[in-house]
Amino acid sequence: MITLYDWELSANCYKVRLLMSILGLDHSPVPVDFYPGWEHKSAEFAKINPLGHIPVIDDDGYVLRDAHAILVYLAVRYDPTRRWYPVDDPKALGETASWLLFAEGTTNTASAARLYVNLGYDFDIDAVRAGAHRLFGVLDEHLWFREREGLDWVTSSPHPTIADVALFPDAALSEEGGVSREDYPAIRRWTDRFRSIDGFAVMPGIFPPHRSPPPS
Amino acid sequence: MSTAERLWHPLASLHDLVPRHVFWGRLLGRELAVWRADDGFVNVWENRCLHRGVRLSVGTNDGRELICRYHGWRYASRTAGCTYIPAHPADAPARTICNRTFPSLERYGLVWSGADPDGEPPTFDELESGQTLALRGVAVRAPAGLVIDALSRHRFSPTARIGVPGDGNGAGAGPRMTVTGRGDYHVVLRAESPDGEAASTAVFFAQPADADRTLVRGVLAAEPEPGSRIPVWRHHNSALSQLRDAVEAEARRRPPPEPMVAAIEQVPIHLSQVPEPAQKGRRAALRVQVARKWQAAVDVAGFDLVSIAGQLPTFQPGAHIDVHLAGGLIRQYSLTNAPGELDRYRIGVKLEPDGGGGSRALHDSVRVGDVLAVSEPRNNFPLRRDAVRTILVAGGIGITPLLAMSQALRHQGLDFELHVFARSDDHIAFAELLDGLGEAVTRHIGLSPDETGAALESLLAEPGPHEHVYVCGPGPMLDAARRIAAAAGRSDDTVHFEYFANPTDIDDSSAFTVELARSALSLEVPAGATVMEVLRANGVEVASSCETGACGTCRVAVLDGDLVHNDVYLNDTEKQQGGEMMVCVSRARSDRLVLDI
Repeated sequence: MITLYDWELSANCYKVRLLMSILGLDHSPVPVDFYPGWEHKSAEFAKINPLGHIPVIDDDGYVLRDAHAILVYLAVRYDPTRRWYPVDDPKALGETASWLLFAEGTTNTASAARLYVNLGYDFDIDAVRAGAHRLFGVLDEHLWFREREGLDWVTSSPHPTIADVALFPDAALSEEGGVSREDYPAIRRWTDRFRSIDGFAVMPGIFPPHRSPPPS
Repeated sequence: MSTAERLWHPLASLHDLVPRHVFWGRLLGRELAVWRADDGFVNVWENRCLHRGVRLSVGTNDGRELICRYHGWRYASRTAGCTYIPAHPADAPARTICNRTFPSLERYGLVWSGADPDGEPPTFDELESGQTLALRGVAVRAPAGLVIDALSRHRFSPTARIGVPGDGNGAGAGPRMTVTGRGDYHVVLRAESPDGEAASTAVFFAQPADADRTLVRGVLAAEPEPGSRIPVWRHHNSALSQLRDAVEAEARRRPPPEPMVAAIEQVPIHLSQVPEPAQKGRRAALRVQVARKWQAAVDVAGFDLVSIAGQLPTFQPGAHIDVHLAGGLIRQYSLTNAPGELDRYRIGVKLEPDGGGGSRALHDSVRVGDVLAVSEPRNNFPLRRDAVRTILVAGGIGITPLLAMSQALRHQGLDFELHVFARSDDHIAFAELLDGLGEAVTRHIGLSPDETGAALESLLAEPGPHEHVYVCGPGPMLDAARRIAAAAGRSDDTVHFEYFANPTDIDDSSAFTVELARSALSLEVPAGATVMEVLRANGVEVASSCETGACGTCRVAVLDGDLVHNDVYLNDTEKQQGGEMMVCVSRARSDRLVLDI
């Protein structure tokens, strides 16, 4: 059983919950009082992660921190199809690594704007919002051309990867930080597609998939 | 109204409107929810639920209706009329709950709309070959005027190849650019390679999203081979991105313009107040044309009725229209349409040889192309969507409202069964629709009255939790179903009936006084006259439809008085409570009757 040190409203913890749900992995959450308790900064939590970050997983005694690292570990260990981390497709694998780095950028901008609005973090809000718009502009353009190529996801694989999992939360929660998606129609279509992945899970602020019947 | 509001503007690319998606657009400061229904119709609506103002662009496009995320209000394609409010499952939403719609038209790979546009979208000879390619829309944080100025100096490669002479990217001599047309919101550009070998024409539109936001939507006057489209798209996207950066830098040096303020239409005064009872008797507000007439079953004529001008009003499953015929005949027919099917109304008319002549006139005299006067749809047989299971029971032509219900339930993925009682398969109207309903349908063919009773007993036995039953058919079948449902322990409020006609023998020999509490009137109802007739003779208007106590339209709240209910609309519980009456047929046993009108 995987233990997840978790906070419900964290976009990074949500990435891990999403992939576990998609892969059908059971886990037991350990709620960390991120706000207002700052429990992740406590001396007690420093024994689990001296950086004072969540998420952290404990897989039968193996402890791993950082959302994107956990996505890589879970996908390689628990996805027998080898598609979520496309180790057999060098190009898609390289692109996955590239977009995981990109997702660090949205954490530092779109997610930061959300922390500023929701939790009163002290950021230069204009700078982080401008940074988020710059990144979303790049992502929207990329996804628009992917659609023209007949591809639905961020990498050149016909299947979604952990790069999509890593990018989805900050994109889908951006409005909470005052970053509108109005100018990113391709991102909006991609978030619609992402929601229809089998095993998709929600968190507060994320709508469930559009469940509507097939054309009649 | 400004000039810009009288013009058509591009609002989206066709590739923005993927199936079951809601596009978030903006034009002249107004947010719009843009969605394509499964039948291809493109809806452009105010991006705002009428209930709590939530953006409809986060709602669900189910292919026929748009559903608000917040409280699940459903709005029909084409009209944007509300068809269902989950918090009021037993009620039909008022027809006046209707979102604001804007016109839409598809041309050159773009969707066009406008605040109140005149005529048609602009046409361009360059784009009329049918060979066009819509480019990626590029959002620019600058006013449309600045964007048009920049577009008139815009350069692109006629070959879309980078690194060849004339590519516009610095290799050798640039393309020769010619502005061949220009307006407030468009520029037509022709690029020619220096050697004259290659040329390409494009029209660039500046969509004024807001005072400081413009979308550049380009259309190439050529359709490249499938394999070479992506380089062409990339070239233009790159060129337009450079243009965007330059224009945005220029816009930042200027004072920001005042944002555009799109007028939100006020609710008209007549909708915000208790309505005056203005209508005189039964009105036929609509004129429709018979677009198709066919034999839908033995003795049943099907009619497709289309609008002559404007959009047909919203209906909900269970709704009927009054059809006005020559000689003052007025008949009620249920709409059989599926949700969002608002390009026509479809009714089925059973020939009643011994009837009053309404069905005879429709069968024999009304032809394709004829114009009919009909009422707006009215729903006295509303369908709840919160039942765990719904049982629909149709006898003969009683199938018509249940077809509308079946299609709505199926489209929403709700659990239901439809039992069709008919003399033969050839007597089932619109039988082709049953094929689409699959296993939900059970046919009961050629049963005697006793066998029908036994079948009803079997299918109405053992009521499940939150189960609702809807029955429409001939009077004796409905009476039997009412008795059987009650014996099976089904409560009145879970069994719903629609009668074709009221078989009750009415004794109108009583005379009484009717007091109108709100109108402060006291009127005498003599023997031989109905309450409705007396009300109308004294200038008090009451909505009505069948005027025989079957449809429920003339329902009025009763404050005091002992009632004789002569209708078949109210159920036994409602009749015992005595809180409502049908003024077309029901009377008072007491000397005094007080109505809440």
